Amino acid sequence: MIKTSQLTKLVSTNEGELEILKPISFEVKSGQTVAIVGASGSGKSTLLGLLAGLDQVSDGEIFLDGEPLHTMDEEERAQLRGAKVGFIFQSFMLVQSLTAIENVMLPAEIAGFSDAKKQAQNILQQVGLDHRAHHYPNQLSGGEQQRVAIARAFIGKPKILFADEPTGNLDAANSEKIEKLLFKLNKDLGTTLVLVTHDEKLAEHCERQFTMQAGTLSESKNSAPLKQDIA
Amino acid sequence: MSTVSNLAWRLFKHEARRGELTIILAAIILSVAAVLSLSLFSERLQGALTERSASFLAADRQLQARQPLNEKWLSAAREQSLATAQQVQLRSMVFGPREMSLTDLRAVNSDYPLKGNIIVADEPFGEERSVTGVPEPGQAWIDSRLFQLLEVSIGDDIEIGEATFTVSRVLSEIPDAGFSLFSTDPIVLIRQADLEEANITGPGSRVSYKAYFTGEASQLEAYYEWLRPQLNDEIHRWESVQDDQSPIGRSVARAGQYFLLASLLAIVLAAVSIAVAAQRYSHRHYDPVAIMKTLGASKKMIRKVYILQVMFIAILGIIIGIAAGMLIQQAVVSALADRVEVSLSVWHWRPVLIAVFTGVICAVLFSMYPLLRLFSVPPLRVLRRDLDSSLSSRTFQFAISGTAVFVLMWAYSQNLKISAILFVSGIVLVAALIGVTFGLIRLGRWLGSSKMGAWQLAWARIRRRAMDNSVQLISFSITIMLLLIVLVMRNDMIEQWQAQLPEGTPNYFMINITENDRDRVESHFADNDVQIERFYPVVRGRFVSVNGSQVNTEVTKEDDRDEDAEDSQDGLGREANLTWTNQLQKENEVVAGSWHGNNQADESQPYEVSVESEVADRLEIEMGDLLTFDIGSQMVEARVTSLRKVNWQTMQPNFFFILSPAAMTDFTPTYITSFYLPTAQKAELTKLLKPFPAVTLFDVDARINQLRGIVDQVSLAVEFILILVLVAGSLVLIAQVQASMDERQQELAILRTLGAKGRLIRSSVILEFVIIGVVAGFMAALANEFSLYLLQTQLFNMTPSIHFSYWLIAPVTGALVVGALGAIGCWRLLTLNTSDLLRKIM
Repeated sequence: MIKTSQLTKLVSTNEGELEILKPISFEVKSGQTVAIVGASGSGKSTLLGLLAGLDQVSDGEIFLDGEPLHTMDEEERAQLRGAKVGFIFQSFMLVQSLTAIENVMLPAEIAGFSDAKKQAQNILQQVGLDHRAHHYPNQLSGGEQQRVAIARAFIGKPKILFADEPTGNLDAANSEKIEKLLFKLNKDLGTTLVLVTHDEKLAEHCERQFTMQAGTLSESKNSAPLKQDIA
Repeated sequence: MSTVSNLAWRLFKHEARRGELTIILAAIILSVAAVLSLSLFSERLQGALTERSASFLAADRQLQARQPLNEKWLSAAREQSLATAQQVQLRSMVFGPREMSLTDLRAVNSDYPLKGNIIVADEPFGEERSVTGVPEPGQAWIDSRLFQLLEVSIGDDIEIGEATFTVSRVLSEIPDAGFSLFSTDPIVLIRQADLEEANITGPGSRVSYKAYFTGEASQLEAYYEWLRPQLNDEIHRWESVQDDQSPIGRSVARAGQYFLLASLLAIVLAAVSIAVAAQRYSHRHYDPVAIMKTLGASKKMIRKVYILQVMFIAILGIIIGIAAGMLIQQAVVSALADRVEVSLSVWHWRPVLIAVFTGVICAVLFSMYPLLRLFSVPPLRVLRRDLDSSLSSRTFQFAISGTAVFVLMWAYSQNLKISAILFVSGIVLVAALIGVTFGLIRLGRWLGSSKMGAWQLAWARIRRRAMDNSVQLISFSITIMLLLIVLVMRNDMIEQWQAQLPEGTPNYFMINITENDRDRVESHFADNDVQIERFYPVVRGRFVSVNGSQVNTEVTKEDDRDEDAEDSQDGLGREANLTWTNQLQKENEVVAGSWHGNNQADESQPYEVSVESEVADRLEIEMGDLLTFDIGSQMVEARVTSLRKVNWQTMQPNFFFILSPAAMTDFTPTYITSFYLPTAQKAELTKLLKPFPAVTLFDVDARINQLRGIVDQVSLAVEFILILVLVAGSLVLIAQVQASMDERQQELAILRTLGAKGRLIRSSVILEFVIIGVVAGFMAALANEFSLYLLQTQLFNMTPSIHFSYWLIAPVTGALVVGALGAIGCWRLLTLNTSDLLRKIM
C-alpha cells in the first residue's frame, strides 16, 4: 500500500541545506496498522506529510497504492488524497464555521458524492454523535471534536488513514474512547493506518512500530510485521 | 446548486450568522454608505447650488452673439424639448423730460428669464420683491438710479430712440445683470418686440444678442454638440454655469472640488478598511483552505469557493450599504432642511452607480492579494501551523492596492490632477513610514532591552511584529492624514471665504465723484455716521504701445469690458481705467519686481507702473517693458516695475494698471469709493446722495447677501461632510485595531497563561498602540502639509499655509484615539478567562 525508496527531505536554512530525513526505505502492506514514534523534532510529522502527499519529496520515491507520489504535482496529489487518503490531526482541524455534519460531509462533497449528507449522518451515528450533528466545533468537547474528525476521515472509505497524534489533545478517558473507535473503524473498513504518536500505549496497539530518530527511521524489534496479512 | 456554490453559500451563511463576517461586511457597508451618502448629498447640494448659479445666467446655458441669432437654432432647441428665451442688449441713450442718460438697455421676450427672478421695488432703492413676467408693450422698468438721473417718477414717459415708453416699475435686479463697476450703466428693461419701433439697432450700434436655454443636462449637451460646428468663435460665445467666474461661481466651484476631495478621501478610507478587513478575512481562512486541500480539494475548487464567498459578501455589503447611505443622507438633509437648500430630487443614479462601483472594485481589488495568498496556503499547514502562504510579496500587494486606489480616484473624479496629488502624497507617506518603522525597530531594540515591564513588552512587540506594524502604521497614518486633509481644508476654505466678506463689507459703491465733491462727500457721510472707505482716483486712458510698438487699439465688443472683478478674464479694453497710489491695495500681492511705493522718480527715468499679472500674461507685457497710455491726447510713458496677483473675488475696486502718483499729477481724476450701510437703513440712501447728483451709486447689497448666503450654506454642508468623513475614519481605525487584536490574541493568551497580570498586559498593549498612534499622527501631520500644499496651490487656488498646531494635535489625538481603541480591544480580550482565551486561539 505504501512503499518508499531512499526517501529524503532537505530544507534550506541560512547555513545551507539541512537533511531532515535521511534516506528512508520501507513498505507497508494494505490493511496494516503502523505507529511512528519519536522525540519532538525527530522528523515524524515531516515523514507523515511526505507519505500523505502533503509535501514534496527532495529525493527518492514514494508509491501510494501503486501511484508514484514523488512524480505528481500539487493538483495530482490533492486528487489522490481526495480519492484514497483520510486524515486525523492532534488539533482536530475542523472548519470552525461549519457544523459537525458539514465538516463530515466536506471530503465527500469535494469528491463530488451526491449522497454526502446521508453518508455523513450514517457515520456520525457510528461515532455516536448524531445528536450533535448541527453543533459548531467550538460547541463540542475535545473528545467530540476528535470523533467528528474521525467520522470525516472515514466518510470516503479511504484506503489509507494518516493520524497525527490523534489523542495528543485529549484526557485519558477520551483518549481511550478515540483509540477504540479508531481501531474499530479501521478494522471494519480494512483501512491501512499510519499514525504518529508519543503515546506508547497507542503505538502498542499497532502491528508495527517504527522509531524516528534524527531523521532516521528504524523498525522496533517487537513489531509484528508484514507476515500478518490483516487485509 | 453545484457542490462548490453549495459549499460557498454554506460557509457564507454560517460565517454571517456567527458574526465572523462583521468586519469585512462592515468595511464594505461603510465604503458604500459613505460614498453614496457623500456623493448623493453633494449631488443634491450641487444641484441646488447650480440651480442658484443658473439664476445668475438666467438659464442653464446662454448663447451670446454680436449679430442676430439664427432663428433656426432656436426652433431646433425647442424641437429638442429645450426651453428658450431671448434678449437683445445694447447701450443706449434714454431721454427723460429734462435729463438724459446712457443706459444698459435690455429688450427681452416674454419667456425671459428661464432661471432666476426679476426683482422690482415700489420706489427707488425701496423694498425689493420678485415678479413674474416682463414689461407690457410700451412700458419700461428702469433702474433706481435712473429715477435720480432722469428726474422721473413712476408713470412718466421716457424716450428710447424713436419710441416712447411709460415707466411702470422700479427695476432692482435682473438675473444676468452682471456686475461691472466701471462700465455698468443703469438698466432699462423693455419688450423685445418694442425694439423695432425704437429703431436703435441699426449699423454701427453695438448690440449683443443672447439666447437662453434650459433643459436636461444630456439634452443641453446634445444640442450644443449639434450647434457647436455652426458657431463662429469670433461672434458667438456659449456659456454654462460652470463657466461662471464670478465670486459666487468660484465659491460654488471650490465647494464642488471640496466635496469631490472629501468623497475621494472617503473612498480611500473605505479602501483602507476593506484592505485591512480582507487581510484579516484571508488570514482567518488559512486553516480551512489547508484542510480542504488536504481533503483533496483542487486549487480551482478553492478559488471558486472563495471568489463566490467574496461575491456574496460584496453583494450583501453593497445592498446594506446603499440602504444605509440613503438613510444617512436623508437624515442629514432633514436635519439641515431649514438651513441648507438641496435639490428636491431624491434619487440620483450617478451616486448609486459610483457607490456600487466602489463596493465592487474595493471588494475585488483589495481582496485580490489576500485571496491570492489564501489560495497559496500549503496543505502541509495542517501539520505545521507555522506555515504561512507561499505568496508573500508586499510589493505586489502595494502595487495592486495602489493601482486600485488610483483607478478608483481617477474614475470617480475624472480629474487626473486631484487623483495624482493624493496618490503621490500617499506614496511619499508610505515610503517615509517604511523608513520610520525600521527606525522604530532599531529604537525598540535599544529601549526594549532592559528588565521586562509594560514599556519593554510594548517595544518588544513593535520590534517583533515589524512588518505587521509597518502595515498598521501606514494604514493608521493614511487614515489620520486623510482626516486632517478634510478638516484643515475645511477650516482654511471657510476662513478664506469669510475673509472675503467680513461683517461690514462695503455694499454700495460711488463713482464719478469729482475732485470738488470729494471732501464734501466725505464730510456729508461722516455727518450721517456712514464710514467711507478709501477714495481711488481714476482717469480713462488708452493703452497704445509697448516698448514703442503700437498695440491694436481697435475697439471691439470685448474691449468694452473693464477691469473690475467679474469680467477680468474676457480681455482688456485698450481703454483702461488708470489709478495711481503709493499704497498697495489689500488682496494684491507683488509677484515680480517691487512695489513702487514712495519711490521718487528721477526725472530722466520714466514713471513706474504695476500691472496685474494675468493681464500681463495675456498682453505679453514683461517686467521692464515701457508702456504708453494716451490720456486725453497726452502721452504718458511708464516702466513696468512690478506685477501683481490680484484676488478678484474681493468686493473692492481692482485695477490692471496702477501708476506711481508722480505720473498723474497733470490729470484731474474722478474718484471711486465705497461704504457700508446696513440693509435696514437703505431708505437713507436718497438723503445721503441728494447733495451729489453727479455721483453714480451702485448697490451691491443684494449680491453680497446672495454670496454670503451661498457661502454660509456651503460652509454648513462642508461641516456635515467633515463629520461624515470623521465618522468613516473612526470606523476604519476601529476596524484596524480590531484586526490587529486578533493577531495579538495568541500572545495575550500565552502571557496570561504564564501568569502575567492583566494590568501589565493592558499597559503594554495600550503603550504599544499609543506609540503607534503618536508616530502615525506625527507622520500624518507631515504628510498632510505636503498634500495640502499641493492641493491648495494646484487645485483650489488658495494661499497655502503651514499648520504647526496640527503637528502637535495629530500625534496627541492619534495617541489618545488609537490608545483608547487598543485599550477597549484589549479589555474585551482580558475579560475572558484564560481557558476561554486559549480555546479562542486554537
